[in-house]
Amino acid sequence: MKENPYQPWLATIDSICDEVGGQRAIKTFRLVFQDEKVREKFTFLPGQCVMVSLFGKGECFFAISSSPTQKGFIEVSVLKLGKVTSALHECEPGDVVGVRGPYGNHFDVSGWMGKNLVLIGGGIGQAPLRSLIKYVVDNRKQYGKLDIIYGARTSKDLCYTKDFAELKTCEDTNACLSIDVKEDGWSDFVGFVPDNLMRVNPSPKNAIAVTCGPPIMIKYVIQNLGKLGFSEDQIFTTLEMRMKCGIGKCGRCNIGNLYVCKDGPVFSYKQLQNIKGEQ
Amino acid sequence: MVNEKQLRDEVKKLVSRDDVKYVIGYEQGTYGFQVTPSFAFTPEEAERFIFSPLCANNLSVYLMLEEKPPLRKGEKEDTRKVGLVVKGCDARAVVQILQEKGLKRESLVIIGVPCTGVIDPKKITVKFPHQIKPVDVREEGNHYVLTINGKNQKIPKDELLFEKCKQCEYPTPVIHDVLLGDEVKSTKKEEYKEIKTLEKKALKEKWEFWSKAFDRCIRCYACRNVCPLCYCKECIVDQLSPQWIYRSVNRSENTVWNLIRAYHLAGRCSGCGECERACPMNIPLTMLNKKIEKDIKELFQYVAGVNLEEKPLLAMFKPNDTEDTIL
Amino acid sequence: MKVSTMEKYILLKNKLPEWINMITPTYTIFAPVKEEDLVFFKPITKPSEMTLAYSNAIVPPKAQMFHQTETMFTFTQGKNIRVNPASLPDEKIVVFGIRPCDAKSLSIIDPVFTNDFEDPYYLTKRKNAILVGLSCNQPTVNCFCTSLNGSPASPEHLDILLTDIGDKYYVELNSEKGKQLVEKTKKLFTPATDADSKKKKDVEKKAVDAITRQMKINNVDAFVKKLDTIFDAPYWKTIAMKCLGCGACTYLCPTCHCFDIQDETTLDKGARIRVWDSCMRPEYTLHASGHNPRPERMNRVRNRVYHKYNYYPKNHQMIACVGCGRCIDNCPVNIDIIDVITKAGEVKP
Ligand code: SF4
Ligand code: SF4
Ligand code: SF4
Ligand code: SF4
Ligand code: SF4
Ligand code: FES
Repeated sequence: MKENPYQPWLATIDSICDEVGGQRAIKTFRLVFQDEKVREKFTFLPGQCVMVSLFGKGECFFAISSSPTQKGFIEVSVLKLGKVTSALHECEPGDVVGVRGPYGNHFDVSGWMGKNLVLIGGGIGQAPLRSLIKYVVDNRKQYGKLDIIYGARTSKDLCYTKDFAELKTCEDTNACLSIDVKEDGWSDFVGFVPDNLMRVNPSPKNAIAVTCGPPIMIKYVIQNLGKLGFSEDQIFTTLEMRMKCGIGKCGRCNIGNLYVCKDGPVFSYKQLQNIKGEQ
Repeated sequence: MVNEKQLRDEVKKLVSRDDVKYVIGYEQGTYGFQVTPSFAFTPEEAERFIFSPLCANNLSVYLMLEEKPPLRKGEKEDTRKVGLVVKGCDARAVVQILQEKGLKRESLVIIGVPCTGVIDPKKITVKFPHQIKPVDVREEGNHYVLTINGKNQKIPKDELLFEKCKQCEYPTPVIHDVLLGDEVKSTKKEEYKEIKTLEKKALKEKWEFWSKAFDRCIRCYACRNVCPLCYCKECIVDQLSPQWIYRSVNRSENTVWNLIRAYHLAGRCSGCGECERACPMNIPLTMLNKKIEKDIKELFQYVAGVNLEEKPLLAMFKPNDTEDTIL
Repeated sequence: MKVSTMEKYILLKNKLPEWINMITPTYTIFAPVKEEDLVFFKPITKPSEMTLAYSNAIVPPKAQMFHQTETMFTFTQGKNIRVNPASLPDEKIVVFGIRPCDAKSLSIIDPVFTNDFEDPYYLTKRKNAILVGLSCNQPTVNCFCTSLNGSPASPEHLDILLTDIGDKYYVELNSEKGKQLVEKTKKLFTPATDADSKKKKDVEKKAVDAITRQMKINNVDAFVKKLDTIFDAPYWKTIAMKCLGCGACTYLCPTCHCFDIQDETTLDKGARIRVWDSCMRPEYTLHASGHNPRPERMNRVRNRVYHKYNYYPKNHQMIACVGCGRCIDNCPVNIDIIDVITKAGEVKP
């Protein structure tokens, strides 16, 4: 029999980055597989996920927020919410966790070569987009224009601020941040992400739009993308569900006949329109 | 028993009222001796209602299962009443819920059925294992008359009656807005015969008995979900942090589960027997409940769900309370 | 294997115990055992422990492959974390007296445990198991396998099928595994005659005729498609009103295969376990954020029906129901899949 798909590899927490100072706590964990062979063998593409275990507490499913172009480690960003994520937030560098994966489908990075990309994220939903952004930046010549639209409630809730500081200096990248309400010293857009999208006004021509974030944001972003002329098969999003196995067996992550862990998490808006099921 | 026409008329009247949302009662089930819960929103739907000796379910559980989806903008809460058909034991569950302030009295309209006992579905299926077509069952004195394939069969009540009904002290609903028919007075007394026999057994024997029973438990929680008094927002078995009971299905966790369930109903269980009826694994849950009920009766002279004015047992304190059960 | 090339034998009833005794040293034998008026598949050491006069086991024999509780691996906690794989049993087992519908259920759930990631726990046991079936001569009131192209005497998903034809069993070998098992004990078997085959057919027909409850849908495939058109029908709410959301119907269903994964620990040791779970419970889909994609009983009742009759056929070209009737027998409020499906067939899109 093949390897046991439920049994995780051990990984050491290399470093922890406190992403936000807002009400919600988000930390990004850099994980390094203990076994060198695993480090080499473990390959993934932006959008894919891993199941991270804290032994004794349980497992949680996360989008990988680092890029496959970064070697030697993977990163996951964790919003403190339930039992496992709260315990993860207590961890320190050097602590050991379990990782299995990668799971699910991925952004069609090869199919999208030569296209303009509009990446719209909100809050912690940026995690899979961060992987994609880094990937695109590292393969910059293969892609067209890159518009990044990202927002959170307050400036303290914005994740990956260091990345954005760098992105803003990139010439061929248009990174637009927003916060929901006005704050002193904020020079970027004030307002909701869907509104920022309208302001940026990307052209649908030869473009792909990807949006990840809270469901309500996604809903309005998709509406607005429609207004801008994006068609159903130009729009992609990632979905979240409660996960246990990550490999299409335990049953709970289904939307209609599709399993988010296996058939997702990336779906085109066109696909979503056609499935009957609860999201 | 009950005049079904009178029942339907009463339900029709109720559902026609502006302040009543729907009425919960019984209708013919899909095969054999099945009776199934029914919800009448309109007078036409009330036509389906029946009451027969097969109406074992305690429908008051549905009061606690009502789903209230979050209100949309501009939407007002629906405060209309819910109507409910109850037997004697079912009514005690309603009283208990009201005592605990789980529901408001004014949110209910209660149609009481003075009860002369109901049939244990497990007993009747053993007698007629292949019965598919619905059967008409009537009560005639000390017998049930079953009409099967046009032929009448007479069976002594005692052979089919639910055990709980044989000792029922409150056959007429202690709470009701309408009573269908005359009050039924009980001369029965709960003697706890089975419990007394078990109490006399050696510890080892008791443990053998219960561990064998709990080993069968598959933790489906039908016993909990069918119970009108198991209405905690988050059941202790579902809590994850702290996790009191592990999900593993084994003797130790199953024992913890079954004892916790019984203890959480101490002084609250109305003795409707639904938990045992629902249990697919034939675990004698009534015995657990009854043991606790007996102890409480002896220690605190308290009976659950019979007096609306009373406070729940665990919300009551008397200086002379015995402390044998605590510490 | 084609039915036409199937080998057929006769085993005299009084030889059955001898056969069981002969295979007991090599195999762990799970057979129907009676306890408290219920029948369970349990390991037996001698033939007298089993009961073959039974209608169906309360817990389906899927539990022999897909344990209700399974230790996936153990680990040590603390700074020096180590993961110790659980040992997978290599014992050979015979599930004796399994009904054709329950055998079919295993073929139905196989793809879930196989797909891209092989599930070692289920598959090891499944591969080590020989299914020796027993035709269902006296179907229960809620049996309806014939509505779903099944038969109470079908050898299709079995290694061996025994059919009680009076004072003897008609034995059909339906796989290599089955042949091998009989091969080693060949002296107990005699070839079946045409008269025996005819007897089996008669017995089967009698059993088929005894199944009177049927789903009244004209065409199973059309019904699967029809469900696509009535997802939003108020019908689901109507039937869900009386559902209690317990797990009886799913835990006891031979094709339900959902599970939960949990860590269970003592001070320094721990185990990752998996246990059966059910889509009828609200916690099943509850997100840590508090959001629940299936917040109402309607969503959950519908999911159970759709998973069996629409999603599963879409993904695996099979209906995930064998018509064993357990969910009907055990629902405390008479939610009856035969009735639910029949009436869904009448709902206007
Ligand atoms: S109904 Fe029976 S089997 Fe189910 S959890 Fe309760 S005691 Fe256990
Ligand atoms: S514990 Fe059992 S007998 Fe007591 S109220 Fe609940 S369902 Fe009825
Ligand atoms: S859904 Fe019901 S009838 Fe169908 S296989 Fe499952 S338990 Fe049996
Ligand atoms: S019906 Fe529900 S519990 Fe059963 S397999 Fe399908 S999703 Fe799982
Ligand atoms: S057994 Fe009946 S009440 Fe329980 S979840 Fe299933 S359908 Fe609902
Ligand atoms: S997480 Fe188990 S099936 Fe998707």
